[in-house]
Amino acid sequence: MSQSKKHLDFELNLIPFIDLLSTCICFLLLTAVWLNVGSMNVKQAVGGQPAAETPKKPTLWVFLGDKGDMTLETRDAQTLPVNMRKVKLGASADGKTNLLQLAAQLDLMKKAEPELKTALIQPRAQTSYEDIIDLMDQFKKSGMGDLGVVPL
Amino acid sequence: MIKQNVIANTALNSPIANASFLNPQGKKWKKSLAADLLLTALIDAFSILVIFLLMNFSSNGEILFMKKDMELPKAARGDSLDRNPVIKIEEGKVFLEEKMLTAEGLIQELLELRKAFRASHPAGEEMPTTITVQADRRTKYEALNSIVLACAHAGFSDLKFAVIMK
Repeated sequence: MSQSKKHLDFELNLIPFIDLLSTCICFLLLTAVWLNVGSMNVKQAVGGQPAAETPKKPTLWVFLGDKGDMTLETRDAQTLPVNMRKVKLGASADGKTNLLQLAAQLDLMKKAEPELKTALIQPRAQTSYEDIIDLMDQFKKSGMGDLGVVPL
Repeated sequence: MIKQNVIANTALNSPIANASFLNPQGKKWKKSLAADLLLTALIDAFSILVIFLLMNFSSNGEILFMKKDMELPKAARGDSLDRNPVIKIEEGKVFLEEKMLTAEGLIQELLELRKAFRASHPAGEEMPTTITVQADRRTKYEALNSIVLACAHAGFSDLKFAVIMK
């Protein structure tokens, strides 16, 4: 009697499914890109356009010193108070650029001159690439998207 | 039907068939020495792995090729990297797409690149003025300066410095 019972359910053959998943995992592991590479976009500071044709917009020039110090000089910023137009920032305790102090100074400048969106960085010959990128990153965090580097 | 199944006829006396909830064959299982696998958990783990890896999958492929000792600087506010001509500095030497060049040679090569683009696009389409720069984080600016100047001379005004996203 029990032998005559027919099961309507059926069993799935899981082996091909496991094979497929294993192949997928192997392929994806081999082709995975673990490093997320991005880019810091920069416009050339010295262009070929005549100065008369270039619209004047507030620009912050950043002169890097040898010992992590820097000078911020703002040009064509009419609403910026005079005492903010040229500011010297000292190095941090480890001899690198003081990014916290820079962030605070940029916040003050942006409040006084909201149109300030361009920064041109003038590094020294011995400035490391990492320091320049850190600086650019800080400028972007402070809402200054148009960045440039000045050749030596 | 299950008896004719491939699973049911395996040499290991089919632990899958023994463990089946639909058609259990408990008596056979007791005799079997073969270990019983819990396939549900295995498939769950595999599926989670596949989903995780698929989410990380990049269809762009490798844009940059880096040596083992090259460390790119890190940045939090970087943009995505597209495929552009790549200038690389490795151990003080300048490479344009794996071809070693001097500073003067770099300008020449960039101008050639522009000329080749114009020849292959007769409709008058201008070549994008973007260049990707790849250098070790400890590289001094004096080494990068020659690249910045060469790009300016050759009319490539947009530089993309390659970084690792934080």
